[in-house]
This record gives sequence, structure tokens and C-alpha cells, in this order.
Amino acid sequence: MISKELKEVILTQLNLDDFDFKDETIAPEVPGWDSLNHINIILAVEEKFKVKFKSYELLRLKCVGDLQKMLDSKLNK
Amino acid sequence: MSEFNFNIEEAPTLWKRWKLNSERNPDRDAIVHWVAGQEPFRWTYKNLIDSAKRFSVKIRELGIKPGEVCATIIRHNPKFYPLYLGISRAAALPAVLAYPNPRLHPDKFRQGLEGMALRSGLDYILTERELEPIVKPLIEKTGSTIKAVYFPLEWEFNAELDSKLDAEVEEVASKTKDTDPMLLQHSSGTTGLQKPVVLSHRAILCHVKNLGAALKLTEKDKIASWLPLYHDFGLIAAYQIPLAYGITSIQIDPFEWVLAPVLLPEVISKEKATTSFSPNFAYNVLAEKINEEELEGLDLSSLRIIVNAAEPIRHDSHEKFIARFKKYGLNPLALAGLYGMAEVTLGATLTEPGKPIPELSVDRNELSRGIMKLANKDSVLRVCVSSGQPIDGCKLKIVDENRNEIEDGLVGEVAVTSASMFDGYRNYPEKTTEVVANGMYYSGDYGFRWKGEYYIIGRKKDIIICAGKNIYPEDIEDVMNNVDGLIPGRTIAFGLEDVDMGTEVVAVVSETRAETDEDKNKVRMNILKAGMSIDIIIHKVYLVPPRWLIKSSSGKPSRKANKERLISGTDQLVWSR
Repeated sequence: MISKELKEVILTQLNLDDFDFKDETIAPEVPGWDSLNHINIILAVEEKFKVKFKSYELLRLKCVGDLQKMLDSKLNK
Repeated sequence: MSEFNFNIEEAPTLWKRWKLNSERNPDRDAIVHWVAGQEPFRWTYKNLIDSAKRFSVKIRELGIKPGEVCATIIRHNPKFYPLYLGISRAAALPAVLAYPNPRLHPDKFRQGLEGMALRSGLDYILTERELEPIVKPLIEKTGSTIKAVYFPLEWEFNAELDSKLDAEVEEVASKTKDTDPMLLQHSSGTTGLQKPVVLSHRAILCHVKNLGAALKLTEKDKIASWLPLYHDFGLIAAYQIPLAYGITSIQIDPFEWVLAPVLLPEVISKEKATTSFSPNFAYNVLAEKINEEELEGLDLSSLRIIVNAAEPIRHDSHEKFIARFKKYGLNPLALAGLYGMAEVTLGATLTEPGKPIPELSVDRNELSRGIMKLANKDSVLRVCVSSGQPIDGCKLKIVDENRNEIEDGLVGEVAVTSASMFDGYRNYPEKTTEVVANGMYYSGDYGFRWKGEYYIIGRKKDIIICAGKNIYPEDIEDVMNNVDGLIPGRTIAFGLEDVDMGTEVVAVVSETRAETDEDKNKVRMNILKAGMSIDIIIHKVYLVPPRWLIKSSSGKPSRKANKERLISGTDQLVWSR
């Protein structure tokens, strides 16, 4: 499940009020989530949660659920 | 140090040139196919040619004839390169098309491809199995030019090459003349509005010679590129030029690069690449969107030249790039600028390698009136970055609206003639007549000349250049005709400068009868989704009441006038987000 905090970061970056994120949601389904905004979302997530992602880890992300899992693993959840 | 030396006559077609390179340097890397986290796949010149022969024999077997157009729609794959060469050996014309983004609705992709097939005269589609359901129906369509769809990544070859067919194809290749068409590329743009440009062997080889000389290429150079090959910048600069000149091109997956920009500095460092190319936005991305830890230990001192082109060159982007990478060995003098277009194969001007790029601090207000005036203390400043001087074989002039040349320092349209000029748009004589006269190509770009340097400052046409990709406002406006909550025909699209990203982003202004904030937000979402359906991200939406948009003399809403009104005004009737 996508946490409220992660959802907020993504919505803020994309200038959206709401979006029904599911684990399997992929970037092209979300208005505004293109490759340039993707970089900004990742940087915003890093800043908000004080974590660092490696580029190669990011290449493995297929959906928002993967991002949540990767974030959780960084936060030792 | 060896010097640039390129004799067109000793191998006057591309296949002959590639074969010659393979004979001279069989074990040299031709293509290093880079995939993040994996050992790269290395095509030596010999292996590449051997494999290309197999593809060309298969193409012959399938009955593809000389002069027919083979459009490839294939993701980053090591088999792409010998396939491309094989098509050329069989004297067919390769045309690289973009693989559709998942965001693009399949129907829209099919419609775009259908329009392009008709306009460009595509004969065959060579693609991946995944696209079969989308592409195959095009063959049955009435009036379709597409004869068949093939899946070359699945082709399996016997150990032994069929010597009879191989000899037949070699015969075809040997009879190909330098003036015969070699490839079809599209002036970059969206869907149906792309213009097909056919280039001859001679045009391309002349360009290798002239741009290669301007770049001061040597046998020791290695090119590192993430640029997509469906774009003239990637196809000519980072693929055709190195392969024809016989040096190494390292190809990074564009989709991977945009998610992991560190790949470019990493590849430069690991492979000791000397030459690279990127549009302006990439300088911002590289400077600002990579974590410091990922750059640790990288060494960019091998980089001799990195060329900025395909969108306006911005002073701040270069400053940021140098500031970030100087400590990793980047030579600030490696930065260069190029101006060009697919219609002259690629380049028309280039700044001098190894020298500072000339810049002018000018008065922005005077410039908007068409006069380049050096800034004084009262000026609103604009820094103009040079795109260099004409390369050999190219002549440029700046002209007024009557196409008469104007003096240095005055802003006008850039006109170009080149030894590598296209022969007109394929199947599009009316468009060719519009832009070509007396051997000059009228670019639609605005600029001025100063002390021999060309400065490109804007566009006559309304094209939006977002991250190096040309977007036609008409495509966006068309798709808005069916959006719920909008008045049909009352939307315009335009580009807005995004200083942070060093590029333009897409904005739309639409007339709507929606009145409440809630309704306007719903309309905005509809607009964003409509943009997504044609793979265009809309960054800013302005909503205005009916009859707000200013019309041009043609009766259509004016992009320029409405953009200016929106940016400068504080109209209470405008809702934006």
C-alpha cells in the first residue's frame, strides 16, 4: 500500500489534488509524471525522507509499489 | 596526434565506407551497446559487417527491393545496428521511428503511424512482437503503403551464409550510386506533422567530412551518446558520423539515461570517451539531478568536446554544468554549440572546439524589437550564446520577411544552404516549395550574426522544444477539441521557459464555461489526460471564459498574442494552475 506521506510528495511534485495510487500504478498512468518529473519526484522523496537512492536501483522500479518498497527498505521498515 | 582525414571518393556509399572501415580496423569497436549494470555488448567493425550481411540476405529473401523504406520501431537492442546496416546494404532505406511510450494511447500511435506511412511512403515496418496487434491492422487498411510487418529480433541465422543470395546483395550494394537515397529521417516532431527528409549517400558522407573536420575528429575519438536514433541529432552525430569515420560510438539507452542521468558521465569515465552531444536540458539534468556519491571516482578528463544543440543554448545551463563537473576533470573549454536541422543532414554551424563559446550580453528589450544592442547599466539583460560559425560546405544568411539579407546585428530568419542539403521533403512538394528557394533552406528560426558568429534566439514557427523534442502546438490543440468542458476550437498551446530545467514546457489556454474552482480543476484534469493520450505532458493550464482568446487575422486564436496577454497580464478572469 502506498503511504500517505509518499502520496503527498508525489501529488505535490505533480501539482495534483488527488490520485488513486495503487501498488501497481505506473508513471504513464499519472497525469504529469513524465521522465523529467520522475527525476524531481525521486529527489523530493529523498529530501522528505532523508534517504538516498542509487540510479541503478531506480532503473528497477516498475510501479509506485516498487518505489514504496524501496523507500521502506531504506527506512528499515 | 593524428588529424582528420576523410576521402569520400575512396568509398562513396555508406556500405562501401563501413566495409572499408572493417577492412582497415576489423577489431576496433564500432558500437559499444551500453545497458546499465551489465557488461556492454561490443560490436567490432568486422563482427558488425558480418552480422549486417546476414540481415541483408534475409531482407533480400523477404523480397524487399532497393529504394523501399524499412521503418524500424525497436527499443535499445544490440541487433538494431547490424539490421540498420543490412537494410542499407540491400539498398533499401532505413527510417528509425520512436518506440511508443506506454503513455501514448495505442489508437493514437496507430493513427500517427498511419499518417506517417502515407506521408513518408513507408513500405515495411520492422518492429518487436509486442507491437504486432497495433501495427498489423495497418497492412489491411485501404490505401495503406505498408506491405508487411516483420520482427527482425526473432530472425535466426544459419551458421553458413547463403553465398548465392549474399553475392546478389553485394551486387546490389556495389551498384548503389552516391546520389541514391540512403536514409529517411523525420524532422523531429509529433505524430502526423513530421516531415520526411531523404538524404543521399553523398549528402551524409559530405557531412561526415565537413562536420567531422569542424569537430576536429581523429581516429582516437570515441563518442558517448544517450540520444535517441530517431532524432537527427542522435542518428547523424552519434551514429552515422562515427560509423562512417571508423571510430567507436557508445550507445546508451535513452530511456535508461533519463531515469539515471549518471550513466553518461559513468560511460565517459569508463570508456574514456572524448566526444558527446546533448540538448540543453541535459546540461541542467546532469548538473543538478545526480547525487554527489554517484559521481565519486569518475573522471571526465578524456572529454574533448561536448556539443549542445537541438534546442536554444542557455548560458546558465553551461555555467551550472561546468561548476558541477570541473572537479571531475571536465575541461570547461570542451563545451561547444551547434546549430542545424535535419534538412541539411544535421549541422550548419559549430563553435570552435577547445575555445570559449562566444557570448554577448545584450539589451533584452532591444532584442525583442529585432536589434542586437550590447547591454548597458540600464538594460534588462539577456545573454546570447553563439552557435558558432558555418562549417565547411555551409553558407548562412539572415533575412527579412521578404527574404532579403540584412546586416549584422539585426534579427531575422536564418537561411541555410549546404553541401549536405536534402532533396526536398518526400511526397510533400508544397511544403518543400514553402521552405526552399534558390537553393536556400528557410529555417523558420530567428537569429542574428555578429562578428561571423550566429546567435539563434527564437522561432518564427510556434514549435515548442521540450527536452530537445519538437512539439507542434497543432497536435495538442487538435486533441483538445474533444475534451469535456472545453469549447471546441478554442484552445491554444505554447511553450513556457522553465529556467530550472533549462528547456521549455507545454502550456495551454482554453476557453471553458466552467465557473467554480471545482469544475475548473476537473476540466484541467481532462486537459492533462488528453495531453497524456498523445504522450505530451502539459505543465501549465490556463482557463478563460468564452470569447476571451484574441483572434489572429485568419480568425483562429493567436498563439503569440494570447501568450503575451497571459504572461504580461493580471486579468482576473484567468484561472491557472
